[in-house]
Amino acid sequence: MGDPILQLKGYGYAYPDTEGFVFEGVDLEIRAGECHCLVGDTGSGKTTLIQGIKGLLAGGRQVGEIAFPANGRVGVVLQNPETQLLADSVGAEVAFGLENLRVEPELMPARVEEALVRVGLEERLDAPVERLSMGQKYRLIVAGLLAMEPDLLILDEPSAQLDPEGLALLLETVRELKKAGIAFLLCEHRPEWVEGVVDGFWRLDAKRVELRGPDFGEEAHRISPVVPGSGSGQEAVGVRELAVEFADGKSLWGKLSFALGRGEQMAVCGRNGAGKTTLLRCLTGFVRPTRGEVRILGAEPRPEALRGRVGCLFQETGRQLFENTVVEEVAFTLKRLGMEGWEERVRETLVRCGIEGLADSSPHKLSYGQKHLVALACVLAPGPELLLLDDPFAGLDAERRGRVLGLIEAASEERGTAVVWSTHDRRSPPDGLQLILDLSGR
Amino acid sequence: MAEGGFEENRIGAWIPPGWKLLICVCLSALAFGARSVGLLAGLGLAELLLGLAFCPRGRFPWREGGKLAGWQTAVIVGLYLIRFGTEGVWPGLRTSAQLFLAFWPGMVFVQSVPAAEIARTLGRVLPYKTAFVLSTSMRFMPLVIREIRSIHEAQVLRGARILPRDLLRPWNWPDLVHCVLVPAIIQSLALAAEIALAARARDFGCAEGRTYWPGK
Repeated sequence: MGDPILQLKGYGYAYPDTEGFVFEGVDLEIRAGECHCLVGDTGSGKTTLIQGIKGLLAGGRQVGEIAFPANGRVGVVLQNPETQLLADSVGAEVAFGLENLRVEPELMPARVEEALVRVGLEERLDAPVERLSMGQKYRLIVAGLLAMEPDLLILDEPSAQLDPEGLALLLETVRELKKAGIAFLLCEHRPEWVEGVVDGFWRLDAKRVELRGPDFGEEAHRISPVVPGSGSGQEAVGVRELAVEFADGKSLWGKLSFALGRGEQMAVCGRNGAGKTTLLRCLTGFVRPTRGEVRILGAEPRPEALRGRVGCLFQETGRQLFENTVVEEVAFTLKRLGMEGWEERVRETLVRCGIEGLADSSPHKLSYGQKHLVALACVLAPGPELLLLDDPFAGLDAERRGRVLGLIEAASEERGTAVVWSTHDRRSPPDGLQLILDLSGR
Repeated sequence: MAEGGFEENRIGAWIPPGWKLLICVCLSALAFGARSVGLLAGLGLAELLLGLAFCPRGRFPWREGGKLAGWQTAVIVGLYLIRFGTEGVWPGLRTSAQLFLAFWPGMVFVQSVPAAEIARTLGRVLPYKTAFVLSTSMRFMPLVIREIRSIHEAQVLRGARILPRDLLRPWNWPDLVHCVLVPAIIQSLALAAEIALAARARDFGCAEGRTYWPGK
C-alpha cells in the first residue's frame, strides 16, 4: 500500500450567506497508486468537495482538515472539457500549467511531449486542439495536468462527456498512471462504467462520505437491446437519403434513411462529433441538408411551423430558462400560441412533473435537477407531437433519470408523442425503443 | 502524427506579432477620426490590403466580416432612421463604417497570429492577467456564438417570435431581448466563471507572473 496522498478529516463546507453545510464530517484517505470513486445524487456536493480539495472555494465556511502528507500536487479535470481548453494548439494547451508554474520556456517542450506520450496522444505540438475528438481533448487536459507532475488527479464525471471508446481509452490511461504511483479520485453518476479501475467506492450521502461496495442498484450494467427496423403507423419523422456536407465536400454520415411513427421512440447514438446535434437541427429545419428529404409531422420542417408542436430539450437545460418564476416559464409557450385555459394546463403540468411546490420560485435559483424538470415541463406543457432530447440524462442521478424517463414515456403513451433521444452512449437510452440509429462509423 | 496547425502567410510570417499588433491598433484608432467619404474609402482599402497581407491562406475572415458589416449596418442605419428620418441615412452609414473599420484590424490580427503568440505578445505590454483575459476571450467567441445559436433555436420552438422575418416587426424585438439576450448574457457569465475556474484549477494566478510556451 502506498503513502497517503490526501487525508480529509471531518471536512465540511457551507456556501457564503447560507446556514446549512453542503456536506460535513467527511473523512477520506487516498494513497499513492489508488483509484477511488465518489458517487452521490445530483446536487449532493461532489463538485463542491472536489473544489474544496483543490482549494478553489472562495469564501464560505470550511471546517475540519484537508491534509496532503507528502505535499503532493493535485490536478483537477472539471466537467466540461470545452471550457478547460485554454489554448489553440496541443503544445500550448499542455504547457498552460507549466507557464503558471513559471517553468523556463526551453524546458517546456520535453515535459509536454512526455505528458502526451503518457496519455497516448501522438499529436504534433502545433496541431490545432479543435481537430481532436472529445476523447482526445479529455486526455489532452489530463496531459496538461501530468506535465505539472501531480500526485493526485481528480476527474469530475468523465463518463458524462465521453463516448464508450473515449472512456475506455481514458480508463486505460488511468490504469497505466496508477502503476506509476499517481492516485485518482473519480466522481461519477454512473460508477458501473468505471468499475474496472476503481479500488474503493465512496458515497456522498446525507452530507457524509461513506465507504460502499460497488453496489450500483438496478441499473447496473443494463445495456439497451438494439431493436432494428423502422417505425410504423402514422409517420412523425421521415428521413430519406439525408446527407449534410461540409464546405470541403466531406459528408457527415453518408446517407441516412429512417422513419418514426407517432407514439414511437428512437435513440440516435454516436460518438462525440458524429453529427447527432446536426441531425436534430435538420429535423427542426434549422440546418438545410445538402441532399435527401426530411418530413416532420407530414411536411418539410420549417421552424416557424413547428412552434409548440416540436419540443426540444437541451443537455444543459438551464440555458433555455429566462422568466422570473417557474409558472411564467412553463406558461410562455402556451401564451405565445394563444392557448385558452393555459393557467389550468400549467398547473396540471407542474403537478405531473412533481414541481408544483416550485411554482413561484425563480428558475435561475433552482438546483441542476430541478432546472431539468422545469425545462421538461416547459416542452411538455403545449402537448408536443414530437420531442427531441439532446442527451437528456447528462448529469442526472439514477432517481432523477427515472423521473425524467417516466414523464417522457407517459407523454409518448398517453398523447402519442414521438420521441427522439440523442446520446453519446448507447447504454443510456431506455429499453423498448422502436429504433436505434448508431451514427458512429458512418 | 496528425497534420500540423498554423500556416503563416508569406508576408505575414515576415512581420513579428508585436509589429502586427501595433499596425492593427493604429489602423483601428484611425477609423475613429475618418469622417469623410475619401478617408473612409482610403482606410477601407488599406485594411483590405492588411487582411490579404497578414492572413494565412483560408483564414481571411470574409464571411465573419461580411456578416458583421451587414448586421451592424442594418441595425445602426435602422436606429438612425427611427431617430432622424431619411436625414439619418448618411450619418448612420458613416458611423457603421467607422465601427467596422475599427473592429476589422482586430479580426485580422486574431486570424493571422497563433493564440499562443497573441498571449506572449500581449504579455509583454500588459499585466499577465489582462493579457490572459484578452487572448482567452478571443478563443471562446465561437463557443459563445454556438451557445447563443442553440438558445435562439430552442426559443423559436418554444414560440418566441425571433426568426429574421419576425424581427422585421419591431413589436417582436422585446422577445429577442427577453428570450435570447438575457439567457445569452447569463450563459456567457456562467461560461466566463467556468473558464476562470478551469484556469485556477491549473494554478493560474498562484505565482506572480508567468512564463510563455515558446512554440505556436
